[in-house]
Amino acid sequence: MAEITYSLRLLRRLIGANFRGQLSYRLSFFFELLAVFFITLLEFASFALVLPRFGNIGGWVLGEVALLAGMVNIAFGIMDMIFSGFDPGNFGRQVRLGRMDQLLLRPANITLQVLGSEFILRRIGRILVGVGIFILALSLTEISWTAEKIALLLSSILGQILFFGALFVIGATITFWTVDSIEVINIFTYGGSEMISYPMHIYPQFLRRFFTFILPAIFLNYFPALVILGKPDPLGFPAYAAWLSFPAGLLVLIIAMRFWRFGLAHYQSTGT
Amino acid sequence: MLASDPAMRLFFKLSQLAFQRQMSYRAAAIAGVLTNFFFGLLRAAIMIALYQNQIEVEGMDLSQAITFTAIGQALIGYLSMFHWYEQMQSVYTGEIATDLLKPMGYFRYWLAKDFGRAIAALLTRGVTIFLAFELVFDLVYPESPLGWLNLVIAMLLAWLVSFCWRFLANLPSFWMTNARGVGIFVFMSAQALSGFIMPLRFFPEWFQKFANLTPFPHSVNTVVEVQLGLLSGPQVWLAFANQLLWIIGMVVVIKLVLRAGVRKLVVVGG
Repeated sequence: MAEITYSLRLLRRLIGANFRGQLSYRLSFFFELLAVFFITLLEFASFALVLPRFGNIGGWVLGEVALLAGMVNIAFGIMDMIFSGFDPGNFGRQVRLGRMDQLLLRPANITLQVLGSEFILRRIGRILVGVGIFILALSLTEISWTAEKIALLLSSILGQILFFGALFVIGATITFWTVDSIEVINIFTYGGSEMISYPMHIYPQFLRRFFTFILPAIFLNYFPALVILGKPDPLGFPAYAAWLSFPAGLLVLIIAMRFWRFGLAHYQSTGT
Repeated sequence: MLASDPAMRLFFKLSQLAFQRQMSYRAAAIAGVLTNFFFGLLRAAIMIALYQNQIEVEGMDLSQAITFTAIGQALIGYLSMFHWYEQMQSVYTGEIATDLLKPMGYFRYWLAKDFGRAIAALLTRGVTIFLAFELVFDLVYPESPLGWLNLVIAMLLAWLVSFCWRFLANLPSFWMTNARGVGIFVFMSAQALSGFIMPLRFFPEWFQKFANLTPFPHSVNTVVEVQLGLLSGPQVWLAFANQLLWIIGMVVVIKLVLRAGVRKLVVVGG
């Protein structure tokens, strides 16, 4: 118990120091936050502006796609803040510069230190857009909310946070060996989140199979959204698939943490 | 005649060096192609789903729409669509001090380097993306030698347009200690307004009008429309004229900003 409160206090200290650092360059921070906000907004806005020419996408209208995109952006934005320290691009740089050695020398839990090493506030921009898109979805659709649907929504968002956080941890761990950050992991993190912003049945089967059996991204928000929107499942999965978001995210995170510990045990400094 | 001009020789020598440098990042190129291709597949799948109940939208059929996604992904490297902060970095590291001493105009120095980088990216990333797309889809190409010539001209002008806005996005570094935020804005606007995310003609009229007030459509969108044969005869010439006008306009602005910036520049030693 004492250890947990100590860890939490440590994390709060680290993140607090990080906040103050980011806020000391106010103008730059403001610009970057706005930039994140607009990048996220533009992508969805482009789609929304173009969709009227087509009517729907794979049978889904704008409000229904907005439910998917809103959930993804809220979850990914939260994940991106919490797991900033593990962001493979950033973490790779720390390894290259030998900062990892500094962290390892300190008498505190290494995972906590990496988590506390970055907490990038500007990513609030993405969460804000996510909330906006989600509100748009609510206004364009007529969802009759039940306790079950709210539970599904929360499980879906939580599952996505754990899932994408796990991918960040895996990407960070790989940089122990490659030193340089690897762009390929973006396929799964940014590519994966982009992919699940649209209904999964529009994708070719080989992509869908990969994101079902190898990386279970299909469970994160597609099946929960089907239940929330009251749409039939064109892929014929069992009804409990909607509840698998949180377990899928947790499972991938557990595997990622194992890999992280394996990586730590085999870590060799770059000598910088 | 061209090759004997020492200024031209210097230009292409610099391009060649930048080309070789770009070609040496093999791992990065492979990772880049894989990422660009994956996103391309997603974008193509979205087009296919959109075209489910349509044969033609705004003069584009499905194979043209899929080719659009291939062009977009192939141009990412060539036009450095997402980021380019090299000039800005040289101000912050102080390298600019030696660059300014080089026996060559400062703008031309960067233009030469970017030319080499762009050609290398086109030959590696661009061509590979098209080959990968060809394996999965039927793509649309110009139908005549003239069409191909037009495409080459459009591509060359598109690179110049994109270089000018990228260079401009870097210049606030003379006045700000961290100008990256401004840069991010320019690149973001470029993605939205250039017709990179979706073909410009799919957007509502007011959006197209607004985009056409900026230089951005004269890069990606022009290349797309020329390759897909969406412009006929005089429209092609008009598109080229527009590209040229934007290049000239931006170069004038760049020269003015550079003159003011260099005067203000203080390089901190060490």
